[in-house]
Amino acid sequence: MKFAYLLSATLLLGSGVHAETLTVYSAGPKGLSNELIQGFERQSGAKVDLYQATGGKIMSRYQAEKANPHVDVMISSSLGHAITLDNAGELLAYQSPNAAKVPDFLKNATYTAQGTAVLAIAYNTQSQLPVPKRWADLTKPEYKNKVTMPDPSKSGSALTLVEGLADQMGESAWQLFADLKANDVLIPGPNKAALNPVLQGAKSAVFGAVDYIGLGLKAKGETLEVIYPEDGTVLAPRPMMILKSTQHEALAKKFVDYVLSDEGQTLVADTLILPARTDIAAQRPGYAELNLIQFDATAAAEKAKQTKDKFAQIMGH
Amino acid sequence: MSLYANARGGRLPLAFNAFSVVSLLIIIGLPVLSVILFAIFPHFNEGSFRAPFSNLYPQLSDPALIDATFNSIRLATCVTLLSIAVAVVLAYVRNKMSVTAGRFWDVMLLVPFLIPPYIGSMAWIQMFQFNGVWYRWTGVDFSAFLFSFSGVVFVMTMHLFPLVYFSASNALRVIGQRYSDVARVYGAGRLDLACRILLPLMMPTLLASGLIVFVLSVEEFGTPDILGSRFGFEVMVTAIEEKLTDWPIDLPGASVLSLNLIAIAVSAYLLQLVVNRKYAASLDAQTITSAANSSRGARLVAHLLFTLAAVFAVILPLFSVVAASLMSTVSHGLSWDNLTLSAYADLFTSGNGAVEAIYTSLGLAAMTALIAAVLGLLVAFTLIRLKPRGKSVLDVLSLMPNAVPAMALSVGLILTWNQQYLPITPYNTMMILLLAYVCLMLPYPIRMITSALRQQPFSLDESAAIYGADILHIVRRVLLPLMVPIMVASGCIVFAISTRELVASLMLAPAGTETVATYVFNQFDQGSVSAGMAMSLVVILVSGALIALGQGIVKRYTP
Repeated sequence: MKFAYLLSATLLLGSGVHAETLTVYSAGPKGLSNELIQGFERQSGAKVDLYQATGGKIMSRYQAEKANPHVDVMISSSLGHAITLDNAGELLAYQSPNAAKVPDFLKNATYTAQGTAVLAIAYNTQSQLPVPKRWADLTKPEYKNKVTMPDPSKSGSALTLVEGLADQMGESAWQLFADLKANDVLIPGPNKAALNPVLQGAKSAVFGAVDYIGLGLKAKGETLEVIYPEDGTVLAPRPMMILKSTQHEALAKKFVDYVLSDEGQTLVADTLILPARTDIAAQRPGYAELNLIQFDATAAAEKAKQTKDKFAQIMGH
Repeated sequence: MSLYANARGGRLPLAFNAFSVVSLLIIIGLPVLSVILFAIFPHFNEGSFRAPFSNLYPQLSDPALIDATFNSIRLATCVTLLSIAVAVVLAYVRNKMSVTAGRFWDVMLLVPFLIPPYIGSMAWIQMFQFNGVWYRWTGVDFSAFLFSFSGVVFVMTMHLFPLVYFSASNALRVIGQRYSDVARVYGAGRLDLACRILLPLMMPTLLASGLIVFVLSVEEFGTPDILGSRFGFEVMVTAIEEKLTDWPIDLPGASVLSLNLIAIAVSAYLLQLVVNRKYAASLDAQTITSAANSSRGARLVAHLLFTLAAVFAVILPLFSVVAASLMSTVSHGLSWDNLTLSAYADLFTSGNGAVEAIYTSLGLAAMTALIAAVLGLLVAFTLIRLKPRGKSVLDVLSLMPNAVPAMALSVGLILTWNQQYLPITPYNTMMILLLAYVCLMLPYPIRMITSALRQQPFSLDESAAIYGADILHIVRRVLLPLMVPIMVASGCIVFAISTRELVASLMLAPAGTETVATYVFNQFDQGSVSAGMAMSLVVILVSGALIALGQGIVKRYTP
């Protein structure tokens, strides 16, 4: 009898100790994911399993796991991923009360941005070329063979830039890309591949760099300047979404609330990412200082293949 | 032959057969099968067999694919031929050296296995691009060579030729001096000797290791991605990776393209079989190596050649890694006032998981090396001595992990082990990484031990059998001791590659686990390059030291 009592007590205790575990797949800066997870664990008492990789890898793992899904919340670096999953009906509808101050272009019924990157020109100040002010400055003769650009078919943010410029400038955007090509632009792959040659001094400027990475490097003492072109630029939001297959709906919602809370958004701001909420002070140029090109990302996503093909054709890929 | 033919019905050979077959099927067969099924059934990941074959034609009719396939084959052929050439020359001149010197260079040429291809490529770029280290010193810009087909072939060869080298020098050691002495007595010249005696005798070994190099170059992602993307050079693997990681993600499409790589690998295997048949002479007697009698001049030439190879394969990449790990900022380049040790200090002070990642990787790599070497011996014994029916299927299967891109194979592993109906599964635990590593690494010991075992005459087994030894005894007391050197060599290679395995680790690491490679990758992706390089160097040194230690211990206990 005593034994049974003891046993049930341990079982009860055991179930109490084993708090609910939330599984988060996240792209992007590892430090930020870790801090968000630790902050949430402290606040909620729940345990979080984090799988950290690139946006593409977390999507691949999610797709491969479909027979037996594990992930509850996903934070991607590419809006395209959210749109794909949204269209496939795989996302849980949720609007966090903390998302009230998030501008409409950073959220819809099923996803809310954690924060957003801004597309910019990253310029190596050692190159001693005239500082670019507009996108088209990089097509000038002094920049011949000195410019790199991330490949829109490998970088969600670069694709957004091409879509945004094409939406804003129409045919002259495609002329701009043709001029870049004539200026021997190097398109070596994803964001990092485009940034490295500029950092190392082999090239001088990135057309369409992810700004917070450049700002972070500048803060570390790299001779890198991040320039937001006068003629306008686009955002590359980092969508956060709850999967319909989640077994921990309440906890997942709590996590999203936490990331959008004052504390969570301050952590985001500290990584030099532009926080999703407009009322949280950014540690870098904020919404008011930026000339942003507004366009319908969902509509653009439907034409993504044509856009990428047209770009590749101009670049002779 | 008759020995095992008679014993084939016996229980022991049957057990050996069954064990090898079942392990290969579980470790390699299941994930490969999953990839194939996924190619056929595009909804296989949801556990559904809907719309079979609907994906094959749309994927395979892409015109860009033909170019990529052609590029892959051209690249792999060139890398294989160049690797064999470099390796044969080095293996040949190694015989002119003293035992100690030979061992020194052997350890040296293990280093390339420790350096991940993508780090190697980054090192080459940092050294030789415009405004790179070399340019700042000499004003010479090697970009045009580096970012060209020849450049990719050269960089990949410098990374892969040691695979052929170890097999080739082992083969030469077994062949020994006697055949050469006989030939020389009958008036053969140096060239005659090389072309008519040594090369044919080495042929099976060269073909087996050349096959690995070929398949590995078809499958390699790092170098073609980093160097090739600079001049628009696309191969099959880069096309597959695009489908696996670039939006929109297309897993079934990647599986279809993987079939293409499987087909290339199987063709290469069959070609190798055909050529091999011409040379399949095994040595009829274990020869005693007579002491190398070489002039000082020959020794000098040998050392010069090894130095040259080591400069390109080891010293340059390592120098570049060290330099990058010491640079405070990338943009200020390699100058005295830009050097700092802070990346190393950070590695060991803050609780950033670097040390845990090192332990995880070293532990996994050690277990992988042990399991792979032992399994490799068993499978090799089954293939070469027991020769079960359908042995070529097993042989091809053992090649698959090198043929299918690691990323696609990782998807295969998820599809296999992430099933709700499985009562227990390694998925989402460390076991899945061990399973993945063993799966990815098995081809190395199997190829290396198979080709070594093929050179051992059957008369050994038979004489043991005459003295009443059963199979277990023959394996343990006769073949195992003879195979120890090659098992250790392959185990070291497996250990080295496992400590830096990136793709499967990224895909399969259970939540919260980091390995060395994922740590480095995350640093490169959105962290500090110097931290990533410092981590790489520490691991290269630690695992290099462990390998040297392991070889030293083994040497002490083997005659």
